[in-house]
This record gives sequence, C-alpha cells and structure tokens, in this order.
Amino acid sequence: MIAIEARELRKTFPVRRGEPVEAVAGISFAVEAGERLAYIGPNGAGKSTSIKMLTGILHPTSGDAAVLGIVPWKKRRELAARIGTLFGQRSQLWYQLTPRQTFGLLGRIYRIPADEERRRLARLGELLDATQLFDQPVRGLSLGQRMRCELVASMLHAPEVLFLDEPTIGLDLVAKARFRDLIVRINEEQGTTILLTSHDVSDIEQVARRVIVINHGRLIYDDRVSVMRRALLGTKMLDVRFEQPPASVEVEGARLVKLSGAGAKLVVDTDRRPIRSVLDDLLDRYDVVDISVADPPLEEIVSHIYARPV
Amino acid sequence: MTAVAATLRTAVANGLANRNSFWFQVSLMVANDITWIIFWVLFFHQVGNLRGWDAHDVIVLFSILLTTAGVALGLCANSRKIGQLSADGALDETLTLPVPPLAHLLSTRVDAANTGDLLLGPVVFLLAGNPSPERAAMFLFGVVAGSVVLIGFLVACGSLTLFVGGRGEQADLGFNAILIFASYPLDLFGGATKMLLFTAVPAAFVTGVPARLVRNFDTPEALLMVAVAALFALIGWGTFHLGLRHYSSGSIWIR
Repeated sequence: MIAIEARELRKTFPVRRGEPVEAVAGISFAVEAGERLAYIGPNGAGKSTSIKMLTGILHPTSGDAAVLGIVPWKKRRELAARIGTLFGQRSQLWYQLTPRQTFGLLGRIYRIPADEERRRLARLGELLDATQLFDQPVRGLSLGQRMRCELVASMLHAPEVLFLDEPTIGLDLVAKARFRDLIVRINEEQGTTILLTSHDVSDIEQVARRVIVINHGRLIYDDRVSVMRRALLGTKMLDVRFEQPPASVEVEGARLVKLSGAGAKLVVDTDRRPIRSVLDDLLDRYDVVDISVADPPLEEIVSHIYARPV
Repeated sequence: MTAVAATLRTAVANGLANRNSFWFQVSLMVANDITWIIFWVLFFHQVGNLRGWDAHDVIVLFSILLTTAGVALGLCANSRKIGQLSADGALDETLTLPVPPLAHLLSTRVDAANTGDLLLGPVVFLLAGNPSPERAAMFLFGVVAGSVVLIGFLVACGSLTLFVGGRGEQADLGFNAILIFASYPLDLFGGATKMLLFTAVPAAFVTGVPARLVRNFDTPEALLMVAVAALFALIGWGTFHLGLRHYSSGSIWIR
C-alpha cells in the first residue's frame, strides 16, 4: 500500500525584487506503508518545503500529492488526525508547562479518550524512556530530553505516517544515537511509516532503509541505503591530533588531506581497508592524543552523485 | 470540553506559570487604566459636557473599551500577532493539528497586561455605570459584539502580511488606529473621520455604538451592531484563510 505519493510537486516562492525562487522543482516519488525513508539534501535543497507540502502546511505551486490517499492541502485537518510531525527547530510543547500538560491538550485536540490517553502515554513513556520527564517543566529539560518528549507528543494519536524534519539537529552524539534508535523502534513496533529529512549522513545509515537525495529542489538519487553505502559512502574522515607534530603521516588505506602542526586530516577508503584496521595502525605507529571519525559531508556525496556516469 | 476551550485553558495555565510576573503586569495595566479614568473625570469636571457626553458616559465607554480590549488583546492575544506569526513561520504548529487554525491561534496565547483591562473593565462599569439589569445586559452585548469586531479587524489587518509580506506592520497600524479612535466619544468626530470610524477603521462599533446602546437602547442600532460583528468576523476569517494559500512558513527568501 502506498502511504505517500508526490507527482511533479513544485513550489515557487516569490521574491519582491528578482526572479522567483524554485524551492521544489517537480519532484515525484512514492513511499510504501511501513517504509523508513531518509529524504536528504544540503541546506536549502528543498527538504522542509517538500515536507510542508506533504503535511498541508504549504500549498504547492503545481503538481499533486496524496498522503494516506488524502490531498494534504485540500483536506489538511482530516490528514492531520492521521499523521504526526516533528520539526527539529520548532517545539509543540508549551515552554512554561510540563510535557504532561501538553499531552493532555493534544488528547483533547485528537479526541483521545482519557483511559486510552493514559495507556498510550505509559507505553510511549516506556518505549522512549521518557516517563520521568513528563512532570518536569519543559523549560528545565535538556534538548535531548525535550526531543524525546516531542516524539511522544507526535506519536500520542498513533499516527500512521511520521514526518521528521531535521529531528537530530543540535543534539549531541549520544542523544543523536539514542533518538535514531527510538525512531527505528517506533517503526518496527508500531509499523509507522517514517519520512525523515536530514543533512546528517549518519541519520541515513542508522535510520533509513531507503534514501532520496534532493538538491536545488530536484530529486537526484533514489535507492536502498545499502546500495548507496556501497556506491557513495565508501570513505570516512579522520581528524587526528598527535602529541608532537609529525613530519608526515603514512598509513595504508588512508590519504593525508591536511597536516597542520600537531593536527592532521585523513580520508580512509573503507572499501580498501576497514576503518578499525586503519585506526589500529595509527595508534600503534603514532603518539595520538585525540581522534575522531566522521562521515563525508553531504555536499561531497551530492557531488559524487553528479559525477556518476549516466 | 472542546479543543478551543482546552487550548485557552492551557494558555491561561502557561501565562500563570510565573504568577508574580503575571500579576505584576496586571497591576501595572490596572494602574495605567485608572490614571486614564482620573484624567477623564478631571477633564469633564472642568468642561462639564462635550457634544452631549459627560464624565459618566465616557466612563461607560471606557469600561466597554477596557473589557473589549481585555477579550481581544488579553484572552485572544494572538489577534494582533497574526502578521508577525505568519512572517515568522509560526503557523506551522497550528497547521499540523486537526483544528480550525484561526480559532486555535486565537486561543493559544493570553497576554497578562491586557488581562488587567479585562478584570478592571466590568468593575468600572459596576461601580460607575449605573448597572441596572437592562444596562448590564447591553454592556455584555456591546462587549461581545465589540470584541468580535475588534478581533475580526485585527485578524484581517494581520492577515494582509500573508499577501503583501513584511513583519506584521499592517496589524500594528490597524491596532494603533482603532484603539486611539475607540478611546474617545464618537461625537467628537465628524465628516470623513466619522465615516471612517463606521467603515474601514470600525472603532465606532468597538466602543461608541455599544456605549450608545447602554445609554439608550435602540433595536435597529442593536441589529446593526450584530450585522457589523458578523461582517467583521467574516472579513477576518476570510482574509486569514485566503492568506493561508500564500503562507510561506518563514522561507527566508520571500521578502
């Protein structure tokens, strides 16, 4: 069953002095019910605009879409009762109140019977390990704690589709990892269709099974994450700090990109040599003080996509 | 309980979360309003009567203004913020809920200072407005109808931001114009200005006509008041909903 379908969806924003900006330039795709889709692209690619059209917040300039068989901008309220949304840079929790007070209001808005609301809150609180946060004022929660409560708020009415717009933005590494795990559990335990936007490559690898990449408002890649990993995510970035500035850094399978005093940046081809083996080699041969491993930036993946043979 | 009533109750709880700050703002507004009342009493003590209005009439008008402003700007504080909320992309949260968006927006923020107006207005009427049952009923009718006119006008002005852009300045212009004119007896104005107050800037229907109805009930004028309230409710609702088609959700390149 198709949960989300977009056909030549387009959104143009007027500019007072100058040419209109085409934020989404005719995107078409379909998402099966129960799928976990990462909808990614660099800043300004059109991710949020796409999500806002699919949730009925924005009216498209042209094109068509259906979410759960409903045209979002024509029957927004009907659709809103069946989908959940979470915007990483906005909050649906009342800042001065406790999350439980917000949940109570959402219960009235979604017309959830009181017993059912209590049951769902208990289940979601356990699933997201957030029950102990429900009675603390939102203003006193950390960002990671707040995002768990935001997720409870988005899931309280048991939506069939969950739209997550940059949900991990601003979270530290531990909170990000935990949040990604929670999204996967929600999908696996409740069968909720997930559409996640992000410009963090790790979100794709750890949450999604399928990935769509958009750039300048156009769909440029649509495939399984496992395929993308093999084709485009074959490198890792190493940021290393040594005790003493080395004359050079030579490790098999790693290419030195920059050497500046006691710091060095290397790119590892993980198809050629596993990252663990490279790290072992580095730690054995050099006096390393600090080291971090990162995915290549999304901009680099996008340029790889454009560089692929057609 | 309906969703709107539940939202309003949550907004009140949110406003009262910092009780000291809330009641401090209420007190400041009450003190400000009392200063105005003293001014009018002293003014009419000197002048006696101005185009048929005496101190007593003006205090009734002022009590209607306070209560109406309390409803529109205190309980429904977002009525004057629609433009700014639209420009900031802050309608997103409302539009993701299965609620009528305008009713939800109007019930999501309570302003402490203007709540002071809402508390003082009826007290002023009860103390200085000769509150017979008939006059009290007309006061209530005038406040309800006047609040609808004021909210409808402010929402329409704010919704213009959705069409022409900006940061909600249209709502500020409308807000300043209508409240300045609504603070004075209707008969002080004449000619084109008076015409304006019965049409484009409907200050006459926020305070002047309701005050006249409290003084001398007149069925055609009461029916006119109902019709105008319905008209401005429709204008506000229509402008907002048509404007939503142009909502850009805070996209930075639009203006």
